Amino acid sequence: MSSSAFAIRLENVTQRFRVIQERPDTVRELFSKFFRHQSSYHDFEAVKNASFEVPQGQMLGLIGRNGSGKSTILKIVSGVYRPTSGTVQVQGSLAPLIELGAGFHHELTGRENILLNGLLMGYSKREMLERQQGIIDFAEIGDFIDSPVKQYSSGMYMRLAFSVATEVDPQILVIDEILAVGDTGFQDKCFERIRKFRQAGKTILMVTHNMLNVAQHCDRAILVDKGSIMADGLPDDVIEVYKSLLALEAVAAH
Amino acid sequence: MIELVRDTYRYRELIWALALKELKIRYKRSVLGFMWALLNPALLMVVLTLVFSTVMRFAIPHYAIFLLSVLLPWTFFSQSLSYAVESIVSNGDLIKKIRVPKLVFPMAAVVSNIINLLLSLIPLALLVPLLRHPFYWTWVYLPVPLLALAIFTLGMTFFFAAANVYYRDVSHILQILLSAWFYLTPIIYPLDLIPARYQWIFKLNPMIYVINGFRLAVYYGMLPKAPSIVASFVCAFLSLFLGFAIFRKYQDNFVFYV
Repeated sequence: MSSSAFAIRLENVTQRFRVIQERPDTVRELFSKFFRHQSSYHDFEAVKNASFEVPQGQMLGLIGRNGSGKSTILKIVSGVYRPTSGTVQVQGSLAPLIELGAGFHHELTGRENILLNGLLMGYSKREMLERQQGIIDFAEIGDFIDSPVKQYSSGMYMRLAFSVATEVDPQILVIDEILAVGDTGFQDKCFERIRKFRQAGKTILMVTHNMLNVAQHCDRAILVDKGSIMADGLPDDVIEVYKSLLALEAVAAH
Repeated sequence: MIELVRDTYRYRELIWALALKELKIRYKRSVLGFMWALLNPALLMVVLTLVFSTVMRFAIPHYAIFLLSVLLPWTFFSQSLSYAVESIVSNGDLIKKIRVPKLVFPMAAVVSNIINLLLSLIPLALLVPLLRHPFYWTWVYLPVPLLALAIFTLGMTFFFAAANVYYRDVSHILQILLSAWFYLTPIIYPLDLIPARYQWIFKLNPMIYVINGFRLAVYYGMLPKAPSIVASFVCAFLSLFLGFAIFRKYQDNFVFYV
């Protein structure tokens, strides 16, 4: 594989969080801490020395237990976190779907939110206006597009958010467990779109707890446990490792 | 500093959209809507004019104009800061989910308040002939102090927005600071009111130079002297330089504290 063909590359990435037991939220606490000389935090490595490369056009599933560091990896890839050490390279435009409708404002209309959300993701006003109709059509919002999104049903809200994030035609799509929500009709529609993305040779990185999705849709899976990459390979193989990990855990618990 | 100019240009559409959003939300669900941006200062002016022409009489003629010429810029300053100080924290959810340039949030707060300030100048311009105060040609000079004030304010908002991420006390301290600062700045009184030997203390206040041009141009029909103009821009750029340097240094860590 030539080095230019990667979409995402992480090298020895470590993300350390300072977990503060008693965060000095106020100046008073700060002073009292200062004078008592106590350290009230410990460092916690959410991701430890992770390295992997995602070639262009691959659909990669990140699996693992809650708190294993999957979402942190997504946030590092999306640029939300700057890792404590290591390097992250991303080639191509990236649309993060960490949470559907993260940039939505309840008082603004659907149409206003489309523009604002697009701008927040780094697209220009012109690009967003060009794609506006496509976004509205896919979301099946109808006349509600000019109502404040707080009046939307949760389904409409999610459809619009998913539509905005994907209609802008990113080269890389980063998805965090969002497809677990919504009815099956919506999920099918989302997967239909994801399939189209794959056909167009785009890169997809997704976190999910749904092993069926991983087995069916992904080209590759990575198992993350306690911040480290435990397995990396074909989905079926990695799912096996994950299952045995969970089984081991269950035995240990007894 | 080059980075600031470059990013401002790159994200101009986003900053503008966020500023408009702020204004829209401020006036949402009110019958008169955006008209409030004009009505608010207009009604304030009516109150002030009535109070100072009947109840409290000062030796200063057309006191309402004397006051408003610097009260409006001051209101811009204090409102911008009050909005911006929370701008990073209140957008915490967003910052945690989307990679977004942090500087757009304090900037949007300043831009939305600039729009408010400009709109409030309209009723002031109407009030001037109404009170039979001369309408001086020096009004055309206003963009200059406006620029200095905007730059000064922006620098301060960067500092306070960043500091508030780490210590939420900052937003409370800011309110006290603003009210003390208000009375220490010759806004409701002229600088001449201060005994000559104490005036040097007041002249340490950067706000004096920044705000001076407004009163001179609108009320006195004069232009500030060159040293005063230079001082206002030195203060403005010093504020921007320091404020942005601090903001930039810590911005990557905001996400861990919001």
